[in-house]
Amino acid sequence: MERTPHIVVIGGGSTGIGVARDLALRGVEVTLVEQGNLTHGTTGRMHGLLHSGGRYAVADQASAIECIEENRILREIAGHCVEMTGGLFVKRPEDPEEYFQEKLAGCRECGIPAEVISGAEARQMEPHLAKDVEKAITVPDGAIDPFRLVVANAVDAQDHGARIETHTRVTDLLVEGGAVVGIEVEHGVDTPGTVIGEDSGTERIYADHVINATGAWAGRIGEMAGVDIAVRPSKGVMTVMNIRQVDTVINRCRPKGDADIIVPHETAAILGTTDVEVDDPEEYPEEQWEVDLMIDTLAELVPMLREARTIRSFWGVRPLYEPPEVASEDPTDITRDFFLLDHADRDDLPGLTSIVGGKLTTYRQMAETIADHVCAKFDIDAPCVTAERPLPGSGDFTLMRDYMEEFGLRSPIGRRSAERLGSRADEVLETDGPNPTICACEAVTRAELQDAIGQAGSDLNAVRIRTRSSMGNCQGGFCAHRMANELSKATDPMTTEAAWDDLLAERWRGQRHALWGEHLSQVMLNYAMQAATQCRDTAGAASAGTDFGAFRGVGPTVPTDQAGREPAHGD
Amino acid sequence: MAIESDVLVIGGGLAGMMSALAAAEEGASVRLISYKQSTLRQASGLIDLLGYLPGEQRPVVSPYEAIGALPAEHPYAILGVDRVRAAMDRFDTTVGYDGGGAERNTLVATHAGGYKPTFRTPQSVTPGALADGGAMLLVGFDPITDFDAPFAAAMLTEAGVPFEVHGETLPFPIEQASDAGIGRFAALIEEDPAVPATGRTLRESIATAIGAVLGEAERVGVPAILGTQESASIIAELEAALGVPVFEVPMGPPSLLGSRLEAELHAALDRAGVSMELGNPVVDADADARISTVYVEKNHAQIPYAASEYVLATGGLVGKGVGSDRSQVHEPVFGCHIPHPADRSDWYDDDVFGAHPFARFGVRVGGDLRPQTADGAIEYQNLRAAGSVIGGADFAKEKSGSGISIATGVAAGTAAAEEAA
Amino acid sequence: MSDAEQPGFAPTQPNTGTEFEPVQVFPEVTDSDLRSGADSCYKCSTCDVNCPVAAVDDSFPGPKFQGPEQWRLHQRDEEHEIDDSIMSCSNCMRCDNACPSGVPLSQMHNTARAEYVSEQMSHRSVEYWRNRLLSNYRLSAWAASKAPRVANWMLNFGPARQLLEATLGITAEREFPAFATETFRRWWQRRGGAAASRARAVAARRRQGLDPDADKKVAYFHGCYSNYNTPEVGRALVRVYEHFGYEVVVPKQGCSGTPMFANGMIDDAARHKDRTLEGFTPKLDAGYDVIASCTSCSMALRQEYPELFEDAGVDALAGRTYEGIEYLRIHEDLPGALAEAEAPADFPDAFAYHAPCHARNQGLARQAVELFRHLEGVTIEDVGESCSGISGTYGWKQEKYEVSMQIGEDMFEHMHDAAGTTGMTECPTCAMQMEHGTSYPIRHPLELLAAVLTD
Repeated sequence: MERTPHIVVIGGGSTGIGVARDLALRGVEVTLVEQGNLTHGTTGRMHGLLHSGGRYAVADQASAIECIEENRILREIAGHCVEMTGGLFVKRPEDPEEYFQEKLAGCRECGIPAEVISGAEARQMEPHLAKDVEKAITVPDGAIDPFRLVVANAVDAQDHGARIETHTRVTDLLVEGGAVVGIEVEHGVDTPGTVIGEDSGTERIYADHVINATGAWAGRIGEMAGVDIAVRPSKGVMTVMNIRQVDTVINRCRPKGDADIIVPHETAAILGTTDVEVDDPEEYPEEQWEVDLMIDTLAELVPMLREARTIRSFWGVRPLYEPPEVASEDPTDITRDFFLLDHADRDDLPGLTSIVGGKLTTYRQMAETIADHVCAKFDIDAPCVTAERPLPGSGDFTLMRDYMEEFGLRSPIGRRSAERLGSRADEVLETDGPNPTICACEAVTRAELQDAIGQAGSDLNAVRIRTRSSMGNCQGGFCAHRMANELSKATDPMTTEAAWDDLLAERWRGQRHALWGEHLSQVMLNYAMQAATQCRDTAGAASAGTDFGAFRGVGPTVPTDQAGREPAHGD
Repeated sequence: MAIESDVLVIGGGLAGMMSALAAAEEGASVRLISYKQSTLRQASGLIDLLGYLPGEQRPVVSPYEAIGALPAEHPYAILGVDRVRAAMDRFDTTVGYDGGGAERNTLVATHAGGYKPTFRTPQSVTPGALADGGAMLLVGFDPITDFDAPFAAAMLTEAGVPFEVHGETLPFPIEQASDAGIGRFAALIEEDPAVPATGRTLRESIATAIGAVLGEAERVGVPAILGTQESASIIAELEAALGVPVFEVPMGPPSLLGSRLEAELHAALDRAGVSMELGNPVVDADADARISTVYVEKNHAQIPYAASEYVLATGGLVGKGVGSDRSQVHEPVFGCHIPHPADRSDWYDDDVFGAHPFARFGVRVGGDLRPQTADGAIEYQNLRAAGSVIGGADFAKEKSGSGISIATGVAAGTAAAEEAA
Repeated sequence: MSDAEQPGFAPTQPNTGTEFEPVQVFPEVTDSDLRSGADSCYKCSTCDVNCPVAAVDDSFPGPKFQGPEQWRLHQRDEEHEIDDSIMSCSNCMRCDNACPSGVPLSQMHNTARAEYVSEQMSHRSVEYWRNRLLSNYRLSAWAASKAPRVANWMLNFGPARQLLEATLGITAEREFPAFATETFRRWWQRRGGAAASRARAVAARRRQGLDPDADKKVAYFHGCYSNYNTPEVGRALVRVYEHFGYEVVVPKQGCSGTPMFANGMIDDAARHKDRTLEGFTPKLDAGYDVIASCTSCSMALRQEYPELFEDAGVDALAGRTYEGIEYLRIHEDLPGALAEAEAPADFPDAFAYHAPCHARNQGLARQAVELFRHLEGVTIEDVGESCSGISGTYGWKQEKYEVSMQIGEDMFEHMHDAAGTTGMTECPTCAMQMEHGTSYPIRHPLELLAAVLTD
């Protein structure tokens, strides 16, 4: 090839975005399309765990080794997306000793640093652990924010010339002469107002190669090209607690099963998970027994979970894939390894490569594999640099600053902002006017919100995942309207209202599963504020055509004086 | 040994206060015990009688007429419109709100750009009525983030209000730390200090700034931050400076309008000789068919209080008069029965503003306002309920919360005093 | 940390501290984990609106931030910093009362403040030592009581006060309270101590036709102030109780710790707690109830002790401590006794009453006003709901003086508007502030009771 090839990547999750970044850094022209916001699919609904590999150290050692390698790399290049919490595999009296030893040996075999500590030592680290936890293995698990990670990859890709389009749905794959030559898309789906890229219209995007990085949707894209990709999506619940009961990733040291992990993430602890195969990655039942199972089972490790407040539960769908000949019955047996499917070889259809399986922790390595594959096809001799180059935001930054002096922010607020913004903190937080806090639960200021609006457009959910605004314990009860007020400065009122309603709907979706105890009281208060005080429920199109004149008004205007006023006339 | 009274009201919210007042005015000795301050401080400060019928999209114009269309389990249907009207009359004579005696709802702007049907308004809100009136200017202050005047004005215009409405955002004349709370702004406005380097006071500066953008507007609305005790004189001062009526737009929590209403009710209770204790919960009771004594907990000690008649006005899910866990819903003080679906996935609607069963959780009562067991028997002969602890109404969707509290409160208090005599 | 177990009758959790057992993370440091307190928070900001400091000081973010927000952001890592605005919280504890949900706000603030003082404040700073001096009032008072007249003169000597302000930051604006020539405890000994009290109580029982051996006995926690500065309050309490047939004992005791909690000096408070437990636990075991005349003392024993200390005797003490008049309202017919009495001859008959914030938290804000309604010829007017502003040591700090006076402005105005020129309150530092702002003399309700019921 003389000219640089144009590669189209379908899917704005960690894999797709990782590929876009890798290729862009190698000087390849990339266009990425995503049907929702970035991280719309599995990436946005994952547990937040940066694997040490410990969880695979017994049954899937290939995955485990990949994990520990990438764990080390991501700590370096994605510092502002990662919190190195450390991890524990804890053993309760009824958990098999044999497995404990297998786990320890397995970690060591895979090069995962692992030490045994006593139950007392574990409780020194984590005082809320159950008293009868006997012992534990320490591993370098961490917590990773998938939104921040993907956004940082996207920014880097764009900085190196990539074109990114969100809310852009692929409606067809273009096949000519027995090869895939591009995609047909519709812009501006499922969102009000502005997005990343084009806001509306249809487009045919021609490409020298198309990468299908759509995870659980891989089969759907394959269908458009007439190839069969048997993804076996499997759902898992994640229950979000109101506070961090633990600051360390807590794994149950027993053979894989449901409800065996707690991951601290930002201001919450996330309980997980279940593993139930589903037919459709978009429509599947969100069931109460799954939430109850998380609480009841994980309370065996951290007893206070039983009475603690949850603020929402959400489900993610694992994009599991296994080669058709393996045919596991139990979805928990399916490997977490990834597969690169070159459709030229497999299906006689050049121009398309799919990437399936995998997990977020190894996204960079998956992306490297695909990028290498693409470069090989086009004789491009450019090495992968993604393991060495820090992501935007992860450059040198320190959290030990005087935020009040520098930015007029209280230290806990400044610190949270700096944790999120990383090396962009100065750029964003230096403001001219007042910089009030919009979301008090997660310490998000106006400056950060406006920065996110500038990046992501008028979709308040896109703004939410960048800033964590409305992800705290009131779940937007007190800040949704403030976020809307901020957005109204950047776009028209109708778009703002639609975005506001979308945010409220999205926040409700997860809170439905937390309706008891303190959170039910919070939800009732939110409902009372939003319906009785704000009247959000009757605003807009809901009650068009109200006859204002039929109501009691001010009456004939009366001049007022300092002594008082005329009361409004009755009827 | 116990601290005694004829009537003991448990819960110091709007329902509890109206109940205590009604009982005292019937001549009973009344004690009011409240664990917390009332939820009036979280509500808008408006008095909503009935804004929307269940399932209807258009607001109600004449609430007394609409009551007849309510389902039988609704507290208004249980009371009957005559008792509701009598309770509102009593409210009108107790509290200096506008609209006394009126039969129609008025419409007011919300801080989020919506419009709300309500029945009685504080004097500071009334000139902002949306049914008629002259061109309106809404003014917001930076950095108060809860009210964006231009956005609210745009939404009201879209809703079709019958006058011109514009919005402006002005900087608050005295620079504050950017996370200063509503209480701080209100305190400053009340104190009215000099604004550095201008030779003007704060209120003068506000008036001047509004005057500069007033244009053709015939009335001005600001967020409800005009002081806590002296709002009337503050408004009068602004009106004199601007030459047009000035009104407040009710805000959400913390609601200064709600606090002012609470203060007015406390003063009425004081005049009526009601004894009040705020700060400790009722945690236990001695009872068989009748309640003889309740116990108030102060840290580890339990102090006994006894009365002939009791009123339970502990609130709903927000006030915590209704509690829940993963498998059930309960009334925590006396264990009165609260009807609810066994499966908690039936407690809510999938739509954020759908018809949520949880919004109607509460005890079930008959016309005598005494909570009933699951079989319809009376829980305790000398216990009545008032306010949002009573189920059967979604006050948030209906915009009926304060009306239900007032109506059931007055009815319960009156009945309790009559029994105790 | 035990599994949470619901007792049979467990409504919303009162701010008792029993629900939030502090978890000792590192036993040698008072570092408790109160994150779960944030589970009750609805973010409604009612606490902020009730905070008297936030209303006048815009650099103070308010209780919601100091409490549930910072605690929710709190992590185990060593880099976590508590915002230094925690030192602007006066510990008036009105936020507890304001919270509609039961967030243990003042417990969160006290714990954070202790951590801040121990980890972040320099122990070589003037601020630290000034706060320590003010907190350990008892020590200064003890020293002063050895030569009260000299102390009184010195402590209000202009140049000395200017020096104190310039070096330590203790405001020169306030008059130091006078030290009594005879402490309460000295008076108690001189009068015959427990034996004499018992004799008087028995005599009173006989007069009233009660069983002379009736089980009516109380242990008095007098507090630093009633001992060293206003022993007349202690004397009044003793007389009133003996009048009702109670025998009084006055055990060994420390400072209640109120000023120490407010300044983050938990270790100092702990030493005094040990002393108090030493004196009072045997009495509690013997069936005595504990009464206190200072509402901050009763607040500390009832709330802050169980929230911040885990000693065995703390719960028993907290459960049987009562405010001085509250106890009589429960066990005696005070309204009846007052209805039969007459207004006292040589005692003021119109009072401007201020309910201390710490009394408010015990549900006692209206106690005095409602009680004295039954006494003819005496008017008590409530001067409003505001905080007096001084909040113990807070108003004595030079950098907080202005704020404390701004907070108290409402109260001063209402006092001037009220009939009468005498103030009334249960809290000694509120009394200082009331006097400072109006020049009114200030009495304790127990003094009025004593004047009316005893001779």
